[in-house]
Amino acid sequence: MAEEFKIEQMEKEVEEMTALRYLTKENAVFQRTEGGFVSLEYDGKKWDRVQVIRLFPFTEPDQFISIRTVEERSKEIGVIADMKQVSKDTRKMLEQQLNLHYFTPVIQKIMDIKDEYGYAYFHVMTDRGECRFTINMGGNAVVRLTDSRLLITDLDENRFEIPDVFRLTQKEQRKLDLFL
Amino acid sequence: MILQFDLPESAASCIQLEQGERIYYTVPFDVAENSKWLPDSYLAVSTKHLWVIQKGELREKLRLSECRNARAEANIGCGLLVLEHNGVQRYIVQYSAKHLSRYAYVARGINILISGREEEVISNEYEKICPDCGRAIPGTRYCPHCSKEGGFWRSFLKMSAPYKKNFVGIIILMILAAVVTLLNPEVQKHLVDDVLTNGSGGMGVAFTCLGIMFFLSVGIVVINILKSYYCTVLGAKIAKDLREKLFAKIQILSLSFINDRRPGELMNRIVFDTGKIRDFMERTFCNMFTVCFIFACDIIFMLALSVKLSLLSFIFIPFAVVITYLFRKNIHRRFHLQWKKSDDVNSNLQDVISGMRVVKSYGKEEAEKVKFNHLAEEFCHVQTRNEVFWAVFNPGVSFLMGAGVFLVVYFGGVDVLRGEMTTGELLQFITYTQLLYQYLNWMTSMPRDLMNLISSIERINDVMAQEPFIEDVEDPVELEVKGEIEFRHATFGYKSYQPVLEDLNLKIHKGEMIGIVGASGTGKSTLINLIMRLYEVDDGNLLVDGHDIKEIKSDRFHSQIGVVLQETFLFSGTILNNIRFSRPDASYEEVVRAAKLANAHDFICKTPDGYNTYVGEKGYSLSGGERQRIAIARAILNEPRLLILDEATASLDTESEFMIQKALERLTEGRTTFAIAHRLSTLQNADRLIVIDGHQVAEVGSHEELIKKGGIYYRLVKAQLEMQG
Repeated sequence: MAEEFKIEQMEKEVEEMTALRYLTKENAVFQRTEGGFVSLEYDGKKWDRVQVIRLFPFTEPDQFISIRTVEERSKEIGVIADMKQVSKDTRKMLEQQLNLHYFTPVIQKIMDIKDEYGYAYFHVMTDRGECRFTINMGGNAVVRLTDSRLLITDLDENRFEIPDVFRLTQKEQRKLDLFL
Repeated sequence: MILQFDLPESAASCIQLEQGERIYYTVPFDVAENSKWLPDSYLAVSTKHLWVIQKGELREKLRLSECRNARAEANIGCGLLVLEHNGVQRYIVQYSAKHLSRYAYVARGINILISGREEEVISNEYEKICPDCGRAIPGTRYCPHCSKEGGFWRSFLKMSAPYKKNFVGIIILMILAAVVTLLNPEVQKHLVDDVLTNGSGGMGVAFTCLGIMFFLSVGIVVINILKSYYCTVLGAKIAKDLREKLFAKIQILSLSFINDRRPGELMNRIVFDTGKIRDFMERTFCNMFTVCFIFACDIIFMLALSVKLSLLSFIFIPFAVVITYLFRKNIHRRFHLQWKKSDDVNSNLQDVISGMRVVKSYGKEEAEKVKFNHLAEEFCHVQTRNEVFWAVFNPGVSFLMGAGVFLVVYFGGVDVLRGEMTTGELLQFITYTQLLYQYLNWMTSMPRDLMNLISSIERINDVMAQEPFIEDVEDPVELEVKGEIEFRHATFGYKSYQPVLEDLNLKIHKGEMIGIVGASGTGKSTLINLIMRLYEVDDGNLLVDGHDIKEIKSDRFHSQIGVVLQETFLFSGTILNNIRFSRPDASYEEVVRAAKLANAHDFICKTPDGYNTYVGEKGYSLSGGERQRIAIARAILNEPRLLILDEATASLDTESEFMIQKALERLTEGRTTFAIAHRLSTLQNADRLIVIDGHQVAEVGSHEELIKKGGIYYRLVKAQLEMQG
């Protein structure tokens, strides 16, 4: 028990944890890595790979992007307030990382919904291409995030988004009626 | 879960194996580099290579010997297979959530192959979508659609075999019901034709006919009552028996089987699925044979009476079927919506009432009122609309359904006037037609009822067919536990794609007291769960006194463990019964001694009924500390060889903690003890401390050694002293 406990260092750690630091093109350098990830140099430190997370994935997909360390209990390095504030190239590589982290196809057109014995079979066109998926009608597969925004979770826990239900045609809305 | 998909021709041709090379895993991936869905793409793993085949073309081929640390990263709605290739961390493929668990297994498989071993990873998880028919599988191993009908009927027969006599009785009743129903119009015809029209029979015959008709009508009622009664009794009996069997089965299944399923799902299987079988017996089966029999005879009689009229009324059947089908679908849609809206109202109400303190303290009553009114109005709107719809359309549909009868009356009437048919025959025919339409509705809903039943039976069979987890190996070791425990390369995770402990190596000597330390969620309780044999390690071994824990007779083993858990669970019952849970034959003296040792005696004396005080959900409420002390008494009573304390003294005040510490000291002497505690002072008596971090044992040693080391433990102690300080 020879060593003394350093209060200052503890307090500094708490400070680190609670601070909200913004990353901008002036203070942070992002670079592509050989393996398809992104590295960061900031505040004199370098991370070989960082995690890129949206804080408001539905409402503000391009703002408040948290850049975090990759280990299990990941810590925040900083936040990008707006993707417009970083260089075009950086934005592109960060978006690439976001695409690796999030996969939430946006439903553009509903071709068919068939319900059978408690399950509903969707056939839709999404921004990621045509696809079919199945949801459980009993559970909370369809969640209303706002009045018009829907999030659908299928049996495999894939997530599909409908940003504005009212932009679908009447016919498509009628098909969805059962789940609203 | 399938880890070896059949590759299509184009993909298979991309793989050229070397001498002695073998394919282990072939799994699809479905997200392209441009984040679009990707069809026909596979990752194949052989003993020497990793092959990425995109749309029938080989995109990449990696040598396994150049790879390290394969990992399946689970992200949001998708995942990445990541590994180190020639020292560079890179991702190999991206896949949607559909394949998340699949890749977790494959990543484990790849690591095994990299390490030079040749075991194959096999997944016991079920597919969620049937690979053959594309339908959802209701939580069972086999798809109820694709398991052949014969299979279903066989399992239904097997299920009903013990009730053979009851079934035969009911079937006889059903046939009787059908015969009587069909006989009535025949007598009616006789009455009209031979008595009323001709006037030949006189009052005597008329009364005989009426008498028979009356008798038959009463007969139908009696038979139906009997039939319903027996069906209900039989249904309830089958459901009860199944419930008991299921409950017994679930008790011997592993916790991982239980945890794999959503909470409530197993409860559903016991309560809901068996209830479905009862429902089926009461509603569907009760009438099944009657209706089918009547239907068949009805059609034959109609044809016999008049082919022309029969064909006329049959013409309407397809219309009637379509109308009932559409009507039912629409009704279902409407009332489902209504149900959903009422659910919204309810959950909002529940939200606000349980959060009333928050609502009031922030002064948000008005906002909540507006929100609630909006929901209530919506519900009211939907309800009104539905009731109006029902009131208008239901009679309309009934009218349409009966429209066939008008045609029959018209053409039949013409025939009667021409003398080609008697009045009685027409009357009889009309009755048959009405019967036909009456049961049509029932017939169209039968497939749905049957399907529901099949799903329920499948789900029940699924549990019944589970191998019990703690099935002792043949000739298990009857072990008198001494208390030496060893982990060898033990790996375990509750979910296949999230290992909690990885490659754990640790040896604990007999009689040692081990303190387990680590941040929350690092796997401390998991480690203990493994020692308690609530779960089995996925890879590697766990040895007790040199025997693999899997080879030890489990109930014998469990009877030698004492456990005090973080969440103390007391069963509904008296304090006495709760303490005696570990050893029901303990004497009163032993119980009191154990309670005194656990520092529980004094507060038990203060309760109104002493040791007979009823506790549990609806009983006398005990504080967290009091519950914990009862749990400690329970563990002490058992005189265990292995003692496990998972935050045993966390909810106690400092004084009683001290008392119990003293009591536990006596208890832990000579016994191998594992103690988890956040309050590190609790562990000062531990012989060794192990710090768990990053899925592994990060530090081992005595308090002094670890402080000297200045690692994780040092930081934890420092933080706690600061807090107190």
